[in-house]
Amino acid sequence: MATSLAMLAGVGACGSSNSSSQEDGNTLTVWWYADEGSAESKGWNQTIKVFEKKTGKKVKFERKSFEQIAKNGSQFLNSDKAPDVMESNRGNSSAGLLVTQNLLSDLGPYVKKYGWDKIVKGQNQILGKYTSKGVIGGNTWYGIPTYAEMQRVYYNDDLFAKYNIPIPNTFDEFVSALAKFKENGITPLSEAAMEYPLQQLWWQLVLSKADKKFVEDYQLYKGKVDWNSEPFTFATNTIEAWLKAGYISKDVSGLKSEDAFTGFTNGTHPIFVTGTWNHGRFMDEAKNFKWESKEWPGANVYEGGTGNILTIPRNAKHKDMAAQFINCALQPDIQNFIGNAGGIPLTYDPSAIKDPSLKVMIDDFKKVASKGVLGYYPDWAGANMYDSMSSSLQQFVNGEITGKQMLDAYKGYYDQGVKDLGILD
Amino acid sequence: MSRLPGAHPNSFNIYLLPGLIGLLIIIIIPLLANVYISFTSWRGVGMPRWTGLTNWARILHDQDFWASFGHSLLMILAVTIIPTILGLLTSSLLSDVIQKKFSGRMASLFRGIFYIPQILPIAVATIIMGWIFRPEKGAVNEVLKAIGLGSMQRNWLGSSTWAMPVLMIILIWIQFGYPIVIFMSGLERVDPELYEAASLDGANWWRKFCTITLPEIIPELLVVLLTSTIGALKTFGPVYLLTKGGPGRQTIVPSYYSYTQFFQVQQVGYGATISTALTLVIVVFAIVFSFIQNHVEKNQD
Amino acid sequence: MKSRHIRTAGDWLALVIMILAALIILFPLIILFINAFKTQADYTQHGPLTLPKALTMSNITSFWKSSNFPVKLTNSIVISVCVAIIGVILSVLNSFALGIGRVKGNRVILVLILLANMAPQEALLYPLYVMFKAIGIYDTQLTVIIIFSIVQSAYGTYLLSSVYGTFPQAILEAGVMDGASKWQILWKIILPVSWPTISVLFVFFFVWTWNEYMIPMSLLISDSTQTVPLALAPLQGQYVVNATQLAGASLLSIIPTIIFYMFFQHQLTSGIVAGSVK
Repeated sequence: MATSLAMLAGVGACGSSNSSSQEDGNTLTVWWYADEGSAESKGWNQTIKVFEKKTGKKVKFERKSFEQIAKNGSQFLNSDKAPDVMESNRGNSSAGLLVTQNLLSDLGPYVKKYGWDKIVKGQNQILGKYTSKGVIGGNTWYGIPTYAEMQRVYYNDDLFAKYNIPIPNTFDEFVSALAKFKENGITPLSEAAMEYPLQQLWWQLVLSKADKKFVEDYQLYKGKVDWNSEPFTFATNTIEAWLKAGYISKDVSGLKSEDAFTGFTNGTHPIFVTGTWNHGRFMDEAKNFKWESKEWPGANVYEGGTGNILTIPRNAKHKDMAAQFINCALQPDIQNFIGNAGGIPLTYDPSAIKDPSLKVMIDDFKKVASKGVLGYYPDWAGANMYDSMSSSLQQFVNGEITGKQMLDAYKGYYDQGVKDLGILD
Repeated sequence: MSRLPGAHPNSFNIYLLPGLIGLLIIIIIPLLANVYISFTSWRGVGMPRWTGLTNWARILHDQDFWASFGHSLLMILAVTIIPTILGLLTSSLLSDVIQKKFSGRMASLFRGIFYIPQILPIAVATIIMGWIFRPEKGAVNEVLKAIGLGSMQRNWLGSSTWAMPVLMIILIWIQFGYPIVIFMSGLERVDPELYEAASLDGANWWRKFCTITLPEIIPELLVVLLTSTIGALKTFGPVYLLTKGGPGRQTIVPSYYSYTQFFQVQQVGYGATISTALTLVIVVFAIVFSFIQNHVEKNQD
Repeated sequence: MKSRHIRTAGDWLALVIMILAALIILFPLIILFINAFKTQADYTQHGPLTLPKALTMSNITSFWKSSNFPVKLTNSIVISVCVAIIGVILSVLNSFALGIGRVKGNRVILVLILLANMAPQEALLYPLYVMFKAIGIYDTQLTVIIIFSIVQSAYGTYLLSSVYGTFPQAILEAGVMDGASKWQILWKIILPVSWPTISVLFVFFFVWTWNEYMIPMSLLISDSTQTVPLALAPLQGQYVVNATQLAGASLLSIIPTIIFYMFFQHQLTSGIVAGSVK
């Protein structure tokens, strides 16, 4: 009853201006690094407006670089310079690390007060809650997701129509579409291996053969990871076959994510598997052709998760106000706003989303999340895995190492990365 | 050898005081702290935990560590040796040919242009280089195609074979202007009559370079060699921003490796071990070099 | 004078080589320049190597606004000028004692001072962070000014002390005969003669400090303290890089140093070690 009352109050006025008297000052410091054009950044900007109007307080926003928060976060969070609200990358090697360093506030009381767990439900809670060792899926709330993202397949409808190829609904159809484009002299997949795109395609292929237990073993260390198991060998062999068949150019070992983005957006490659963080950019920039997005054809587990979390640093000076701000971001008006900006809200009013393709995207995520089959990303499980995995994948693309050697290398990075996180101590 | 007559050397100590105090606080104490941290396990927050020689034992068997130091030799080639040789030739051409036969302003303009990569922030320089060396629609590959050398197109930064050479070319591009500026100023000192006398003897440009230019700018040469080599051993920016040490471990260097341990993995203890090892290598090099320099300067006197 | 007009084939060859070298050096800057005025859509369609279809200033203006450029510019100028001045003063004082004063063990002291130049920056970061936080100046421009004054003065001391080591003895002796104190000799005699070298150090220190990245990134957290190179970092996001905006921002970020450099260019002519031997 108390929570639902609080919820009601929250809906009306972001928790109104009843901030406790122990705190002085009326300025809330908020830092995030989300790209200016991203849906979440637009949504949080809107949150600032609403928050300031409803509470009469001021928000001092500063955009930080992803790099500075990731690399120097533990230093400034451990000083009196910590902001009141900070976007943090989710996962064991990012937010989890800050948890083990005791730099984030336990948000449990606020979750209870505002009933956030009624909005962030089921598997969507996993990336906000950590164990004392900093592993996702624990019991303590340290961060609140306010949006979600997942990998989707973006198709260039015009090119599909031109070569009379149907948009695939199953994995087999997907592969045969790849083959048909190749026959017509077109490299179907826009990819990059210096940065995340190919690594994420590989992981989606892994997940397509995986199950919940696999994800928990890999991401939550509940069991041993078998690097010779089918998901890994299937994904690796598939990438190898696609490289050999020319569905993926060997040049991708020298390309960055932005190159893959432009490769799709300028119509060179008809298919791009990427995160919904690019959705808004396609809406703005892919204007020369019709495109659509669908979820990965035929998988057990889907790559993605709730987005970066909003945290309240332990050294924040206005914690109650910070919680009010976060509460504001979870209200329907902001959530719908995020949805209309091309992002995936955690709760939304279907009638408020104007673009039907966005509705499909949001519903696809909802379906997957409610089944609890989100598989996150491969580099979260260990420290420094992102760069290490990319560098081996480049060699694999070049044919300098075999799939087996790549998986051996990955196993090494995983073991060392988990060890470095100090989880097994 | 100059010295102030009648003044005891010790009376100058006071002039060293501000610099040495700063040095002690900003450099020496942190370096000693770093040595201490190398014997601990530390996540950067809280108290370091003493682990004795564990990190140092690990480093001995760490292939990435040894690979990174191996690559440092290539960095010295790209940052010190090649730019110094090119810089010697170029500055000699500029001051001996362009300045004399064409105009001094032209020589100065060229020198200005050559120095520009030095004033570019490394982040900016690497972004542009990424565009130039990328495999699809990159400038180098497009140029090769345009001049009929399409078969020489490569996946420059993506291939294990080419990533390191390309990184070296980028470093040469960045570094080129530094020795030129220093050498040209040194050449101002050289008595023009020396060159004229040599010309009258029928010496060509190369003879003059070997017998006059080179010996005259030994002091500058030593400055460039020492500072560039220290810079080479500390190479970080281009690797961090362009290749992240990849593909595989083909372009990993010590500073980048310790940085990842410090800030990506936050194994501060191990990061400190790598950077302490790197500091030791640089210090030993500088001491040896300083002996050589001393020797050379004495011989010159 | 006569020789100037007799240009051999070799002279012309030298000129051609220099022009080619200049083009290679400038080429990447031209690429930066053309992308700075391109729209993102244009870049997406045609890549980085074509001329812009239409010129836009929005890359530059939007960075100006989003980064609060005037603040960053002021910080960079204040930090770089302070470091250049303090660095030069420390270099002169050190070199006076080492090169002219010949204090005992000057070789050893020189190598010790050079440590500031030798130390890998990442090795200093955690200890300096702890230290600056303890005395309450973490996240202020002062931290960076202090650090780089010391680091740059190591280079300056190395260079200048070798210049002073070969300072014309006769001039010094004349000064002593006139009864000048040490301070007067430094101020009235040595400084004026070594002015060319000092101004080169000033240019180097300014430019180097301006471009420093790792230490400022670690110690300057607030928007109000950050420098121009740090302002570029948010443009390279977790997943997204806006290429043309980055080009526009990069161009804007290098304009101050280019202006500064052009202004002081002629100083570089007058020589690093000028006046040392003559």
